[in-house]
Amino acid sequence: MIEFRDVYFEYRPQSTDQPATRAINGITERIRQGEFVAVLGRNGSGKSTMARLMNALLVPTQGTVWVEGMDTSRGEMVWEIRKTLGMVFQNPDNQIVATTVEEDLAFGPENLGLDPAEIRRRIDDAARYVGMEEHMRHSPHMLSGGQKQRVAIAGILAMEPRCIVLDESTSMLDPRGRKEVLNLVRTLNRERKITIVLITHHMEEAVDADRVLVMDNGRIIMEGVPRDIFSRVDELKKAGLNVPRVTQLMHELKKRGIELDGSALTVEEAEESLKRILSRAGIPRRHMNGTSLPEKPGDPIVRIRDLTHVYMPGTTFEKKALDNVSMDIMRGEILGIIGRTGSGKSTLVQHLNGLLKPTSGSVEVDGLECGKKTLKELRQKVGLIFQYPEHQLFEETVYKDIIFGPARMGLSAEEIRERVKRVLEILGLSEDLLEKSPFELSGGQKRRVAIAGVLAMEPKILVLDEPTAGLDPQGSEEVFKFLTRLNRTSGTTILIISHNMDQVAAYCDRVAVLNDGRLEMLDTPRNVFGREERLRELDLDIPEITRLFRNLARSGYPVSSDVLTIREAADEIAAIMQGQGPDKEGMLQ
Amino acid sequence: MMRNITLGQYIPGESVLHRLDPRSKIIWTAVLMVAVFMIDTWQEYVVMGAFIALLLVLSGIPVKQSLKGLKPLLLILAITAILNIFFVKGTPLVELGPVVITYEGLISAVMLFFRLVMLVVSASLMTLTTTPMAMTDGIERMMKPLERIGVPAHEIAMMMSIALRFIPTLMEETDRIMKAQASRGADFDTGNLLKRVKSFIPVLVPLFVSAFKRADELAEAMESRCYRGSKGRTRLKQIRFTMLDLEASIAGILFLALLFGPRFLA
Repeated sequence: MIEFRDVYFEYRPQSTDQPATRAINGITERIRQGEFVAVLGRNGSGKSTMARLMNALLVPTQGTVWVEGMDTSRGEMVWEIRKTLGMVFQNPDNQIVATTVEEDLAFGPENLGLDPAEIRRRIDDAARYVGMEEHMRHSPHMLSGGQKQRVAIAGILAMEPRCIVLDESTSMLDPRGRKEVLNLVRTLNRERKITIVLITHHMEEAVDADRVLVMDNGRIIMEGVPRDIFSRVDELKKAGLNVPRVTQLMHELKKRGIELDGSALTVEEAEESLKRILSRAGIPRRHMNGTSLPEKPGDPIVRIRDLTHVYMPGTTFEKKALDNVSMDIMRGEILGIIGRTGSGKSTLVQHLNGLLKPTSGSVEVDGLECGKKTLKELRQKVGLIFQYPEHQLFEETVYKDIIFGPARMGLSAEEIRERVKRVLEILGLSEDLLEKSPFELSGGQKRRVAIAGVLAMEPKILVLDEPTAGLDPQGSEEVFKFLTRLNRTSGTTILIISHNMDQVAAYCDRVAVLNDGRLEMLDTPRNVFGREERLRELDLDIPEITRLFRNLARSGYPVSSDVLTIREAADEIAAIMQGQGPDKEGMLQ
Repeated sequence: MMRNITLGQYIPGESVLHRLDPRSKIIWTAVLMVAVFMIDTWQEYVVMGAFIALLLVLSGIPVKQSLKGLKPLLLILAITAILNIFFVKGTPLVELGPVVITYEGLISAVMLFFRLVMLVVSASLMTLTTTPMAMTDGIERMMKPLERIGVPAHEIAMMMSIALRFIPTLMEETDRIMKAQASRGADFDTGNLLKRVKSFIPVLVPLFVSAFKRADELAEAMESRCYRGSKGRTRLKQIRFTMLDLEASIAGILFLALLFGPRFLA
């Protein structure tokens, strides 16, 4: 289907004094008809370049790429190649051309010069296949991210390709949208025998693939079935990647000398594997008791009382985004805020620095009633970092961008310099960056510079909306490391909106769950994730590890059902295997 | 929130107006608007008003929905009309010092108000019943003859429809960037004009950067879906001048005769 032979690719330098950047560094690879291949790699490993080479959007500097025997460097083949191999991109917004779903689906077939009746047949079929037939007349901006990507896939499907390449097409979606897209891709591969190349840095998505390619520095460094690839945990970590959580747990247990047969890629497999070793060790069943972290001593820094917010009151677009929310946020805590898209998370945090005004109710931050007069002071106390904050960079140099906020606070030049230095240290950024343009940095660096701009205002409360969206596993881990550091060293209260339950479980002191604008729960992660059934009703997941242990406990095995992290899990299993029962000391760390 | 501008947004439907060829809708809307400017007796106002009301009914669009587009314009309309009251000379009705309200002024204000309302309603009747795509298609086809003298008709139409597609997206983005910069201490509401204009730089730079990035990505996505200009391209919806359009045109001519006929008879 697709063949790479000795392929190199260099991006032409933007100016003559820069060297050309080599994105693909000698790839020879063959993808067979009907295969489902996952390509993994950290940001900047060359995986997107590889996708573009397949679609003849780029042509190799050296070597050849064939798609069904067609050489991509031969100009006259380009249209035939793109007809055979369709591509779905990362940003759902930037690939929808038309103002209605229907006309967007028709765009590809129209370009192929098909007969209107045939176009009609194909788009109806494609829309039904992806489950969007009811939205045919809708405008794309009214759809959710997952729906938009399904439209994009249907648009490709209507061209009847034999292969679809998805270039990080799930990375900007929430968990629900991601599931929608992945299920669809899997069915396409199975039912319609369409070859799938799925480029991603979410390891869990690669589990179902027939084959995994791991890229780093423009090369394919590992190749094999998921089970083999994911057993090479240390190599993957070196490539800036990670393995699925349950696989990590199995790896950790093996390191501690616990004999396991085989490896596990999914919760179900891990459950089987653990059941086997537990039964073999003859562990007796035990009565369960739940434990929870002691609550942080209560010194509320934010008091929210009966907060209601209605968007566009009195119009047909009226929407109650927050409904009578009352809660306290404690000084120095890390609070996770979870809830499905549209549950009111963003609306809630935008009240904290006065971007939104309550329709009714009140918000008090550090003794300050939120209102018009206190706006300036409020925004210094509360630092709000939106999703993809790097999109807000605008200055000529990194330094100027970072001091944009602090310079408006009436600080002395010396104090400002001092602060910049401090935040660079917290974020692990080098001072050499300061004179560079923010636009020439890498994605991860940009994100940190944007965060630095808010941190330099030294807010007492830091609010982050999906701070790790779009970052690879290593980048995400770094973000959480410095957030924890900031929380420990300067006692900053941190609020994190996240869809990643594993992160919430691992780093947050408390979790607030929002649903339809109401505060559904506010408790320790242990207690919140203990209510799996309710969370499921709210369309929320629980951490994989927690799910695994709950399943085990439900089948009568003597494990705690409230285990949150890999470390706790490994401790628990190790302790049980030594016949001592769960080690609570270990769990609290 | 800027993202919910309702003026003339397409409302799906199957009415006669929805089914007309966009070209006949564009032409007849233009004719109608010229006619609205030409009427001046109250009889003509009544006939015109009745006709537009009839079209509204035919379109099957709830009256409330179609008048909603007027709301944001109401203030401007009212001000224009009221100014007329004071500046038209004639028989004085009320005299308050230097301010004179005349009978003619009052009449002309009321008429102007209705004239403007009819203009807006007839224009939005077109946009309410025509998808932006159909509209740009219509424009493209109408400009087709100009291609011979070098007017890139297809490209212009494509640009227009992409612009329409991205307006809501860019609005949302502007909103988001403004909020983010406000969180960093940017102040958009105080200071003199120069200062305010300057305060928009932190919004405009990221907005342009992102718009260019979007343009790049969109171009890539379009190319990978085999887009190569109008060459060899067919359309899902062939716009076709049908019997319905012929009937509508005859009805339109009859209406014009009814409206302006009396002028010639007199």
